[in-house]
Amino acid sequence: MPKHIFRLVSLILGLIVVAVIAKPFLTVDSFYRFGHYRANAVPEIAAKAPVLQTARYCRDCHTERHALWSAGSHKSVTCEICHGAAQGHTDKNKLPIPKDSLKLCTLCHEAMTGRPSTQPQIQLPKHNPGQQCIVCHNPHSPKIVANAIKVTGDAAAGKKRAEDCAGCHGAEGNSPNDTWPNLAGQSAAYLARILGAYKSGDQKNEIMSPLASDLSPADVQNLAAYFASVPCKPTPPAVKPVGNGAAGKVLAENCIACHGESGLGANPAWPKLAAQKPGYLVNVLKAFKAGLRKDPMMAGVARGLSDTNMADLAAYYAAQSCQPTK
Amino acid sequence: MNKDDSKPTLTARRAFLGKLGGAATCAGAAVGVAALGVIPAIAAKPEGAPAGAAASGASFPTKDYDWSKHQWGFGVDATKCIGCLRCVEACKKENSVPQNAHQFRTWVERYVHIEGDPEVHIDSQQDPVNIAASGSEKEFRFANRYKDAKVEKAFFVPKLCNQCSHPACVQVCPTGATFRTEDGVVLIDSTYCIGCRYCVQACPYGARYFDEDRGVADKCNWCYHRVTKGLNPACVEVCPVGARVFGDQKDKQSPISLFIRNNRVQVLRPETGNAPNVFYVGIDKEVN
Repeated sequence: MPKHIFRLVSLILGLIVVAVIAKPFLTVDSFYRFGHYRANAVPEIAAKAPVLQTARYCRDCHTERHALWSAGSHKSVTCEICHGAAQGHTDKNKLPIPKDSLKLCTLCHEAMTGRPSTQPQIQLPKHNPGQQCIVCHNPHSPKIVANAIKVTGDAAAGKKRAEDCAGCHGAEGNSPNDTWPNLAGQSAAYLARILGAYKSGDQKNEIMSPLASDLSPADVQNLAAYFASVPCKPTPPAVKPVGNGAAGKVLAENCIACHGESGLGANPAWPKLAAQKPGYLVNVLKAFKAGLRKDPMMAGVARGLSDTNMADLAAYYAAQSCQPTK
Repeated sequence: MNKDDSKPTLTARRAFLGKLGGAATCAGAAVGVAALGVIPAIAAKPEGAPAGAAASGASFPTKDYDWSKHQWGFGVDATKCIGCLRCVEACKKENSVPQNAHQFRTWVERYVHIEGDPEVHIDSQQDPVNIAASGSEKEFRFANRYKDAKVEKAFFVPKLCNQCSHPACVQVCPTGATFRTEDGVVLIDSTYCIGCRYCVQACPYGARYFDEDRGVADKCNWCYHRVTKGLNPACVEVCPVGARVFGDQKDKQSPISLFIRNNRVQVLRPETGNAPNVFYVGIDKEVN
C-alpha cells in the first residue's frame, strides 16, 4: 500500500478510536437510556409544582361559598377563572376579587357570533347597559330564580278580611295617602310572599308585623287573591312628587327586566310598580339600601342609588298608568 | 561527513521509526478496543445513579407515577367552545408562557362564513382586532366584529399540540432535546435545546413557538407536571363548557375513552402521517 494512503487510513482510524474513547465521557448522564434524549429530563419536568389548584383546594376554607357554587349554574366555572391561580394563596396573600364584573362576565356571556346557543348570552345594549352584572346576579350562583308562590285563595273571603286593611290601604286597596302603598291589582304571588314574610318575621315593620301575626295562612292566601283581583283606581298624589320623572324614566330602564315595562310587572314573583305611591317607593328603596328589607338583588340595586335617584324613580313610577295598554 | 556513511544510517533510522510508529498504532488500537468495553462502564457510574434505580425496575419518572401504565389522550368538542379564551389565560399562568398574544401553547380559532362570501374568515386571539378588543397584549378576548354581518355559520375551534405518535418535530431535532415519552406526551428538554427552531418549522400544526427570552423552543406538553400528579391539564380544568377532554386511553372508562367511543372523532392533517393524539368533534371542512 502506498505510504500516503497508509498514513491517511491510519489517521482516520486513529480519530475514530479517539472519538469512541471520548464519547462516553462527553455524553451527559441519562442520555440513551430510553432513546435519543436525556431520560432525567422527564422527572425534572414532572417535578414542577402545579400553579392552578382546582376548586377542591378552595373548598377546605371556603366551605359555604363552595357549597353555594357547586349547587348553582356556575359549577363548571372554577374559582380560579375569576379569582386567579391559587398557588401561594393564604390568608395573608389574598386572591383578587374582580372589580369590573361587566368586563369579566361578558367574556363568556356577551352574545357573539360563533357561540353555541346552549351558552346563555346577552345582547349588551339591551341588557341593562353599563350596569355591573353583580348588581342582580350572584357570581357564585348567578341564575335568577323567581319563585312565585302559588295563590289559591278565595277572593270573596279575602274581601271580608280586607275590611281591616282599608284604614291605611284605602277602600279596595287604593291608598289615600303617600306613605302606604296601593294594593289593588298587585301581583298575588308577591302579596302572599310579603304578607307571609311579615307574619314569619323574615320582614319586619312596626305596623305590619303585629297585624300580619294575626293572620292565618288561609287569610294570607285569601287577601292576596282578593287584592290581586281588584282593579286598580289609584288616587292622584296630594302633593306633586319632588323627583324628576324624566330622569327616573332613564334609570327605570334597568328595572324593566324584573318589574316590567313602566312597572307593569314582568314576573308574578316581583311587585308591580306602576302608579305606586312615590313616598312609599322611596321608603322601600331606602329600607333596601339600609338592609332593613332583605332581598339580595334589591340590596345590590339600592346600593347604587342616591337619594335623588330614588326620588326620580318614585316620581316616574307614580306617574305611570297601572292599566296595561291592551 | 562521508556521504556513503549517512545514507544507510538515515534509511535505517527511518525504518526504525516506521516500525516504532506501527507498533504504537497497533498498541493504541488494542487499547482502544479494550476501552470500548471498559470506558462506558466507568463513565456511566458517577452520573448514573438515577439510571441505576430504574434499571432495577422502579417506577419512572417518579415513584408515585409509572409512565408505562398510562397512555394519555385529548379530545376537543368544537361544538361546545364559546371562545372565552380562559384556556389560553390559564395555560399561560400555569406554564409561564410569555404574556403576549403571539406566543402560546394553546389557542382558539374562530371560523365565520358570511353570506355571499365564498372565503371563510378565520381569526384567533392573536389577530390585532382581538388584541385591541381585549384591552392589552396580556388579556385575551375575541372582538364581536361580526355582530352586524350576515353570518351563515360560525364556530370556535380550540387547538393545541397534538402529541403525535410519529412526531415530525422529534424526527428533526438535531440534539435530542424533544422526544416522546412512553405515556404518549412529546416533551422538550429545555436544557438541551439549542434554539435552532427546526422543530418549529417542522410541526404541521403550528403548535410550537420560540421563546426568545429563554432561547429555546416551547410547546404544550399537556401540563405533564399536573398529569403525573393525577390532575388535569390547566386548560381542561378551566374550560367552563367542557370543550376539552383529557384522560388515559388505557382506562376504558376515562373521559377520553368515552369521548372517542361515543362520538365520530377525527384528527387534523392525518395525511402528514404524524398520527396525532388530539381527537376533534364538530369541526368543519376548512379546519386543518
